[in-house]
Amino acid sequence: MNHVELAFRNLQRRQTRSILTILGVAFAVGSFITLYGLSRSVHENVTRSFEEHGSDLTVKRRGIAEPFGGTIPEDVIPEIRKIPGVKDVTGQLLTFAATDKGDNVLAAGWSPDSFYWKTAPLKAGRLPYPNENKVALVGSEIARALDKKAGDDITLLGDKFKIVGITDFHSIINRNQVVVKLADLQELTFRPGAVTFLSIELEHPGDKAEADRVSKAIEAMGKFTVSPSEGLLRNDSLFGLMTAVSSAMAWVALFMGVLMVLNTLLMAVLERTREIGILSAIGWSKERIMLALVIEGFILSAFGSLVGILLGVAGSKFLSSIPSIGRYVAVEPTIPLIAATAVAAVVLGVLGSFYPAWVATRASPAEALEHA
Amino acid sequence: MTAKDLLQLEHIGHAFDQGRIVALKDINLAFGESESAAILGASGSGKTTLILVMCGIRTPTRGVVRWRGEPVTTLKQWTDLRRSEIGIVFQDFNLFTTLTAAENVEVAMFGSPASGAERKRRVDRALDTVGLADRATHLPQELSGGERQRVAIARSIINDPKLILADEPTGNLDSKNAAAILDLLFDLQKARGSTLIMVSHAPALARRCARQINMKDGEVIDEQVTRAREEAL
Repeated sequence: MNHVELAFRNLQRRQTRSILTILGVAFAVGSFITLYGLSRSVHENVTRSFEEHGSDLTVKRRGIAEPFGGTIPEDVIPEIRKIPGVKDVTGQLLTFAATDKGDNVLAAGWSPDSFYWKTAPLKAGRLPYPNENKVALVGSEIARALDKKAGDDITLLGDKFKIVGITDFHSIINRNQVVVKLADLQELTFRPGAVTFLSIELEHPGDKAEADRVSKAIEAMGKFTVSPSEGLLRNDSLFGLMTAVSSAMAWVALFMGVLMVLNTLLMAVLERTREIGILSAIGWSKERIMLALVIEGFILSAFGSLVGILLGVAGSKFLSSIPSIGRYVAVEPTIPLIAATAVAAVVLGVLGSFYPAWVATRASPAEALEHA
Repeated sequence: MTAKDLLQLEHIGHAFDQGRIVALKDINLAFGESESAAILGASGSGKTTLILVMCGIRTPTRGVVRWRGEPVTTLKQWTDLRRSEIGIVFQDFNLFTTLTAAENVEVAMFGSPASGAERKRRVDRALDTVGLADRATHLPQELSGGERQRVAIARSIINDPKLILADEPTGNLDSKNAAAILDLLFDLQKARGSTLIMVSHAPALARRCARQINMKDGEVIDEQVTRAREEAL
């Protein structure tokens, strides 16, 4: 029997306490992974939805806080198209629109010549014809949720649209998006000639210098902010607020979890004061006793982290399955997030064992042996 | 006191509660190798405090404890002695409830250089010596009081200590088990040539020891020595 085997025997034969401690660590890890994953997923899903359309740079109105609040006049598009390095430019109008059953869906308006159409993977039906109006491409998820198929009608902001195709995008936002002609959405939202974003396709997408040159040239036109698609939400105050709130919830959950775990470890050690006295009486040094307690802390936090990862992944899937959340974000904890949280929990468990172990071994053997 | 003494207590005093309660007053005792001694006295006479001082579990507030003539002053010295030279048997057994009988014995060997196989062999032998070879895999709560004390004795002898200290080793046992445990302790002491110091308030038990040290109010008030010890001295 070595220290690790001894620790396992102690934990196995104190099943209730061990399971409760492991669950404490697991809930802390799991809730952090889920909540922090949620906070990151908003940003990641928006980025992915733009990238799926082949957009290298995104242009939006400078200084508007709401994500869909600012508009850009379409007539700047020909001017931007002339900038060296720009391969193509297209505008997109976005809004949340009420549909048949009172549900709100994300509606996008694309111009007939938009390069976005080329990126739309069809699951069923066809793309709209260039001169066809009041037609819609419906994302696969929202089509499933609303029980729609190609050939059905869908109501957007009170007007009927014929569904000509069902798209099968990867990003959860695009899978829940209804795409109509830009002119139709402009008319319905009383925003003639306006788009929410401009998407720029660069001649050389990986060329950072080119991207910087194009960005500067567009920003020099005034009142526009240009960002790479992955940085689109970086300066958006509303998304920033959402991210901050969900991140804060994640950190609060983690903090509470940490306190719970530390308290559990502290109590687990202190209630064994007498045992520590016995170990001392049979010739165990303080260092050896601390090592044994820290090994137990390590095992508990390692198992807790493992269970926490499973809980975090399950929690993320659960959140994604809630329609009001899953329609806009797919909560997918990343491997780095899972790894970092698990490692942090184990390190914390080990460090958290040190304090109670130190407290416990500070007592004289006689006092420890007198402990009930 | 002689050069042959294993353990010497010089002017040992111990007080609790910032000096308000005096448990030991100027104790001077010496114990040689292979001898047996009983410390007798009523409750509160200081006998348990004295035995805890003898193994460093309690630090005296004055005086010096010597092991083979060398003063023992540091925690490390006491830890090393308890690991290899001093075995302790408590009245209430002090076994780990999460460990089997064999594991309770083996846990006292942590820190010894013995290999896993050697440890197992010694644990098996110790349990066999105390008559518990067939109870090795039982948890303490599955054992009787007498069996638990036998496990504690096996643990105390696992490192072949020179000194076995027993604090009321039969205090929680019925008369039949108590007699068996005492027989075991004295047999072990004789067979191994170790020194046995027992705390008791039972004179009948104490008469089996070569020395009887009587205590009252923290002081040694009387000491009776058998002829065998006198001759040894």
